[in-house]
Amino acid sequence: MLSETDITLLVAAQSLELAAQDIYEVVVSQKSKSDDEQALLVLMHSHHAAYGQTLNGVLSKRAATRRNEEAYTKFFAMLADKSKLWSTLLELENTAVATHTAIIERLSSAKNAALLASITTVEARHAAMLATLISTDLDLALENLAQALVTQ
Amino acid sequence: MSQLSRRELLRLSGLSLASGLVLAACGKQEGIIDDGAIARLGEAPSTTALAEAEVTDQVLLRTAASLEYNAIDTYTAALGLGVFTGNLAGATEVAKRFRDDHQAHADAVNGLVRALGGKEHRCANVQINDLYINPALALITDDKNPNIGMDVVALAHALENLAAQTYQGVVELISDPKLRADAIRIGQQESRHAALLAQVLNPGIAAMGPTFDATTGKPNIAAIPMAFGSQANIQLIVGAPKADGTRTTLLLETPSLNSLVYDTVSC
Repeated sequence: MLSETDITLLVAAQSLELAAQDIYEVVVSQKSKSDDEQALLVLMHSHHAAYGQTLNGVLSKRAATRRNEEAYTKFFAMLADKSKLWSTLLELENTAVATHTAIIERLSSAKNAALLASITTVEARHAAMLATLISTDLDLALENLAQALVTQ
Repeated sequence: MSQLSRRELLRLSGLSLASGLVLAACGKQEGIIDDGAIARLGEAPSTTALAEAEVTDQVLLRTAASLEYNAIDTYTAALGLGVFTGNLAGATEVAKRFRDDHQAHADAVNGLVRALGGKEHRCANVQINDLYINPALALITDDKNPNIGMDVVALAHALENLAAQTYQGVVELISDPKLRADAIRIGQQESRHAALLAQVLNPGIAAMGPTFDATTGKPNIAAIPMAFGSQANIQLIVGAPKADGTRTTLLLETPSLNSLVYDTVSC
């Protein structure tokens, strides 16, 4: 049985994943990249869809019904500059990692903290790979300076 | 009166005979003293039971710290081998950076242990060395191994995955939510290390996601092998090719009850 606080936190995580899924959907539909890059975008989109669905299952009737509109609007606006596609997605992934980690810090349910942990380790991999498409700077791939969307 | 065919009679008599044999095998036999032992073939080696010890947040974090030293020592050994040449020349700076990251992780984790009132742990996990790293290094540095440099990268990749899985795994075991977050922050950076090393082993955008070997059908090394962080064992294929062309596969697993760094364990 989830506490009300845990439900609120997990809804925040799920709604961010729904926003990420929608951002990737926009990018994938543009078909502006090479076949390999397009396949990578489709893969990352499918991962965010899986995270949203898994959290939906955890929350059941209390699941989020809407994406995080603030996050979606922010990243959608950043996509307007086509030259910044990879850096926008990098920031999105790092934001998701930071947000889920802040949520882990407040969740009382260890089981759901572990679920979010397993999501963040893969989103961190997404971020590292997106960083390599921008630059060879190791710091860009390894450091996460993004701010969490929930207060710690 | 029921009618039984000859075939049915034979089948029933066969069943009765088989049942009788099973019962006879299970029953006591004349002249045999029942010592209560389980039936076995050969001699089982004696084992030493683990001492009673509690798996606390301190123990889990001390174990994580020990893995950081496994990684630090491995990168130091790798740099000492002088194998990062040619196509791998750039790996020297990467290995130094990753070693420094692991030192920072070890310091951070030991800081958490101290804050809990525990004793910091500043050496490698002996079990992990004995079970995985030393056998791997022996295979890698074999004179007949033509791929020492790439195999060192493969070992580093496996250890980064092991560290990432360990931090991910302890999140569910740690009791304090703040410590869970501290642990997974480090696990995330280990995952980033692993992803970058996967690209050294299997480069290119097409290899970032899961792909399969066209000949064997087995999964290739990938930076992003699946949607959720794995807790399965980690395959490490290293060493000189054997007569049939295959190489040795080692299976690495995250620390278990016999490899945790309990409060009584010291360097």
